[in-house]
Amino acid sequence: MGLRDILWGRHEVKGPAPDKLFAITTAWVTLESAHSISPAGRAAIVFQALATSEFEATIKEMEAVVTATGGESATTVATQDDSYGYRWMVLSNPKGAPSVEDLAVGINAVAGSIETAGFGPRLLCAVFTFTDAKGAPVYFIYNYKRGFWYPFVPEQGSKQERDTESELRIKAQVGAELPVEPEVERWFPLWGIPI
Amino acid sequence: MVLTIFLLGLLYVVFVGVLFAAGAGAGLIVAVAVVLLLVQVFASDKIALATMGVKEVSPAEEPELHGIVERLCVQADLPKPRVCVMETTMPNAFAMGRSRKTTTVCATRGILDMLDSAELEGVMAHELTHVINRDVMVMTLAGFFASLAALILQFAFFFGGGYGRDEDEEQSIFLVIAVSALVYAVSFFLLRALSRYREFAADRGSAVLTGRPSALASALIKISGTIEREPSKDLRQAEGLSAFFIISPKAKESLLALFADHPPLEQRLAALQRLETQLQQGTAAA
Repeated sequence: MGLRDILWGRHEVKGPAPDKLFAITTAWVTLESAHSISPAGRAAIVFQALATSEFEATIKEMEAVVTATGGESATTVATQDDSYGYRWMVLSNPKGAPSVEDLAVGINAVAGSIETAGFGPRLLCAVFTFTDAKGAPVYFIYNYKRGFWYPFVPEQGSKQERDTESELRIKAQVGAELPVEPEVERWFPLWGIPI
Repeated sequence: MVLTIFLLGLLYVVFVGVLFAAGAGAGLIVAVAVVLLLVQVFASDKIALATMGVKEVSPAEEPELHGIVERLCVQADLPKPRVCVMETTMPNAFAMGRSRKTTTVCATRGILDMLDSAELEGVMAHELTHVINRDVMVMTLAGFFASLAALILQFAFFFGGGYGRDEDEEQSIFLVIAVSALVYAVSFFLLRALSRYREFAADRGSAVLTGRPSALASALIKISGTIEREPSKDLRQAEGLSAFFIISPKAKESLLALFADHPPLEQRLAALQRLETQLQQGTAAA
């Protein structure tokens, strides 16, 4: 933000950073083999749903595209709104055949068509669900504005507390394979993840 | 905006020029100025927070407020500010702090109870836009000379009345007083104009950030306590009442507008309405 923007008080919402979404497709291999954090076969893309007909049309179109491309891998798509006014487009692999690659391709297709339609700044994040050895959920969140990943582990059985220790351990485990958000204070939690 | 900045700048240049010409304790003025500026920049938020009874809340205490702020921070690419709540029924919200790293956003209990989550999001986005636009810094710096002028005015009253000076010196003291008073008065109005402009900018920023200008408009209507603006009364019932208000006190309003540090609600609503129209037509940056 330049001096001119500060003086005029004008700013635009930042669009997506250079895409590092596909880093997850290589990182998960190590996660599963060395640390038994395995993919749960679900991922979602989260964005602000604008109440305009143009935006709704874009979303409709997107769903059709994902359903079409997901045909061969039998990936299904469902949308839902959360209480904060954000829309979740949830992609699920068929049972017993989780494929991080298919999910990443699907998420990327959705993000791509949102951007092409000029709604890039509306993208919030993508979430990939994993489970640890005990079956508890571990989320990997991709922040579109920053182009970084971070782990999010909600504390089991408690409301809105996170297991920071596990998150930091996962960061160390995943190492250089995933571009992890360097500023820990930007590891924003997402409560009530529907996947 | 250009005119306001220009006039403020011009004012300061003239002010400093006159001070030096008068030669009235230039060293002292500079020293006081520096101390004052430092205090304003580094401590004003802490002083204000401490005196207002603001309490920091954890995500467990206020999950909804934290959730809204977190999502907006991701959207605006900001680090998360401290989130505070002020236990008062008056509906209001504000942001404080000199930089993005040391920011506090605060909402009152009244506003949390009054607004639904979309409206609250609009209000918090407005406050976060103040942070993005560095409005606290801009207003502190812009207000600096006004406070300085006020300070000199006080000094001059306390120490200006000494005797045993020659006529020249006395004259220059009077000149300093007169100029300081003028600076203070003029900057008072210019600062308020600047503040009004930045409020418009923050409204716009909020609309751009959330993509929901109408939610903020609805929040503004609720907060200003004029929920009747969107009539809930039957037309036939309301008719008898509104006849009394057919002539609105416009003359008084226009004078008041000079003193206000927030733009009038009508103008803010109209600006948000324009944004919503642009959004619906797909001409605004989405």
